Amino acid sequence: MPEQPENRVERIVNDLLRGRRLKLRAGDAEEKEAITAAARLAAAHGGPQRMSPAFRRRLAQTLESAPRDSWITRRAALVAGLGVAAGALAGGVVGTIEPSPPQLSGSGPINPRKGVWTDVGALADFDEGRGKLVHAGAVSAFVFRRGEAVSAVSAICSHLPCELWWDGEQSLLACPCHPVWFTPEGKPKSKYPMPSLNEVKARTTADERVEVLGT
Amino acid sequence: MTSEPPLPDDSAAPSERTGEVVDLPSATRATDIALDELELVYAFIYARVGNRADAEDLTQQVALKAFPRLREGSPPSAIRGYLFATARSVLGAFWSTRLGLSTAELHEDLALAVPRGPDSDEPVERAGRILAGLSDNYRRVLELRFLHGYSLKEVAAEMRSTVGAVKVMQLRALRAAAKVDVDA
Repeated sequence: MPEQPENRVERIVNDLLRGRRLKLRAGDAEEKEAITAAARLAAAHGGPQRMSPAFRRRLAQTLESAPRDSWITRRAALVAGLGVAAGALAGGVVGTIEPSPPQLSGSGPINPRKGVWTDVGALADFDEGRGKLVHAGAVSAFVFRRGEAVSAVSAICSHLPCELWWDGEQSLLACPCHPVWFTPEGKPKSKYPMPSLNEVKARTTADERVEVLGT
Repeated sequence: MTSEPPLPDDSAAPSERTGEVVDLPSATRATDIALDELELVYAFIYARVGNRADAEDLTQQVALKAFPRLREGSPPSAIRGYLFATARSVLGAFWSTRLGLSTAELHEDLALAVPRGPDSDEPVERAGRILAGLSDNYRRVLELRFLHGYSLKEVAAEMRSTVGAVKVMQLRALRAAAKVDVDA
């Protein structure tokens, strides 16, 4: 029996008022407005919030052990899942740090080690000319349909490790972190020199399903 | 309601102008400066997720994403802009993952819109402004629950109602509260 909306929200309110993490279940998105309002009001429950001394110390240690004047490469960000997963980060620096800035160059296809073709939906679910965000394990991509064919590009900006969004008005992929857009082919449209988005391998199957090469 | 997320302006993305990194004023004070700025980021995130554990995880993510790109030399305003641009991205990914929605769907949602910089007030004041925009009954039930910490049963007794009715009223009040744009 499906959970009633008022019970669903009360469960979340109760957790928040007890200082617990937001634990959401399938279907909770139906009440996303109420949930986000509850989170904002719950913040008031505890009064003014500052970092605890223990967390500040932990953060200082993290910062001091993190390399500076260096880059997390886009590839490292993808490997580390930065910009994609918002799950818990246990701490420490993830990914490989390159000692020098990356060169601006064309970006090749993503070939995950032990790549897996992942079903991301029926072809009929993909609209012509509209980018659709899909996840194939650790690889997130925007898939574009042209007739019976599909193509895909990485959903991570080629500059900052932020997840792109589909700007339907401009028919471009937009980065939420800075004013940069990309065409469905992954070509940058910005006043700054930028690498293209990585291509993500995508295909359709005989039974009209869409698959993406992920992890 | 907007279909486009608020993009940071150039000051929020200084990496474009400085060759991919944001500068810090002094190498020796780098950690202290970053921690002071991250204190603002933590408060900003906490005000939106409403619990310490998630706020700490997300603040740490912001630090890990942004800090490797910081370097000596540029004004604190540029650092703050960069950290908040990163915080917005991290919060977007958080809600996207927890609710199972695409970031595009989230960007279309006013309730999940995130402003560009630190909040100018404390959560209690923000809550007061949200509640002020509600009808008397809705305001009362949320005040008792969130500001006074009453249980559903206590709210029902206070309002001379039943637990079931209060639960439904709480849901409707929260839906109404989501429509009050305190970031406007």
